[in-house]
Amino acid sequence: MTNTVVALQPKYRVTEPDLIARVVSGDRIAARDLYDAHAPRVYRLAFRLTGDAHLAREFTQDTFVRAFGQLARFRGDSALSTWLHRITVTVVANAMRKVKRFRERETDLEDVHPIGSEASGVDPVLRERLNRAISALPEIYRTTVIMHDLEGYTHTEIAEVLGVAEGTCKSRLSMARAQLRAALADLAPES
Amino acid sequence: MTDDRFDELMKDAAATYRRPIEPPLEEMWKEIESRSFQGEGKGVRPAGRQGLLSITWVRVAATLVLGVAIGRASVLFNQKSSEPASSVAVETQETQPAPRVETASMPAPYQDATNKYLDQTTALLIALPSEVRAGRSTRFVERAGELLTTTRMLLDSPAAQDQSMRALLEDLELVLAQVVRLQNDRSRAGLDFINQALRQRDVIPRLRTAVADISAN
Repeated sequence: MTNTVVALQPKYRVTEPDLIARVVSGDRIAARDLYDAHAPRVYRLAFRLTGDAHLAREFTQDTFVRAFGQLARFRGDSALSTWLHRITVTVVANAMRKVKRFRERETDLEDVHPIGSEASGVDPVLRERLNRAISALPEIYRTTVIMHDLEGYTHTEIAEVLGVAEGTCKSRLSMARAQLRAALADLAPES
Repeated sequence: MTDDRFDELMKDAAATYRRPIEPPLEEMWKEIESRSFQGEGKGVRPAGRQGLLSITWVRVAATLVLGVAIGRASVLFNQKSSEPASSVAVETQETQPAPRVETASMPAPYQDATNKYLDQTTALLIALPSEVRAGRSTRFVERAGELLTTTRMLLDSPAAQDQSMRALLEDLELVLAQVVRLQNDRSRAGLDFINQALRQRDVIPRLRTAVADISAN
């Protein structure tokens, strides 16, 4: 098990295995510490994958409830954050499949949340097209693009979270980018 | 498109695509704590829902509207004095764990059907607010109608023999009926009533408990 020091308030600085042991024994304060250390990134990932604050909240909650329930079985083969993000991706994927069964069009997901408006000099039409193209990617490609290009996970981390080989992860990213470029081809031709 | 141009676009997407908002850490923790540490006395005290307590009258009114709307309020309040059906009772029992569902005596086919129904209903109710806000709830409303029919069938079946399950099904009947009404009234108030009813009656946590109990069996 890795001996990562969890970024907590000074009086609670403990190694991650110690913290996990305390949570498993029913220590709610330790559970809260663990939650505080990891919840922002879990929520961020859930938000990127769903595009909806309400769903991101629900799925973050589900992630931690599931994680606390299974923590005793966490063997420490990977970092706790990797394990938590794996649960997040699984929770989101399973739930979104059920949600999508009720939906008429999958790409409607993108409509749930308004696109950000940070000024960056990018043509709004191009940005809109790209964002829709990301939403329209097959799930395995979209997850890889979101984690790597938008959230900054390394290929190693993504491979661990998704349970695939690193090469597979790179291949998926390459395929996803090719699809995105194709989707933008008429607006920004190859030159 | 050059690689540099594409990289520039992806950087822009990192800043604009489904840009995450500030996570509601405290609210999420309350829910996580109540679901993960039910009935244990150590550590942090179970979280209450202060916001609910401060506007109790609004929630009581919402419950009454729901009840009157489908003509079931008096029946519910009389039948389930020991169950969390009364909004007043629920307000004073916020920190109580969701009642367990006893499924041992339920025939296997009913367990399967009930589990599937509860699973689908959970997914629908969780996603509903987003769908309504996005103005595309048509399919959800149709599905709620189908689930409402299933609810009524289950209420008349051995699946409803357990009192906790019956109470849950009756509450779901109320909520789903209100969802179906969105077909004619898509106002914000309609969705608010549903959300209030869900929170007041702890419907989602009870749904999850029921699914877990049936799965465990």
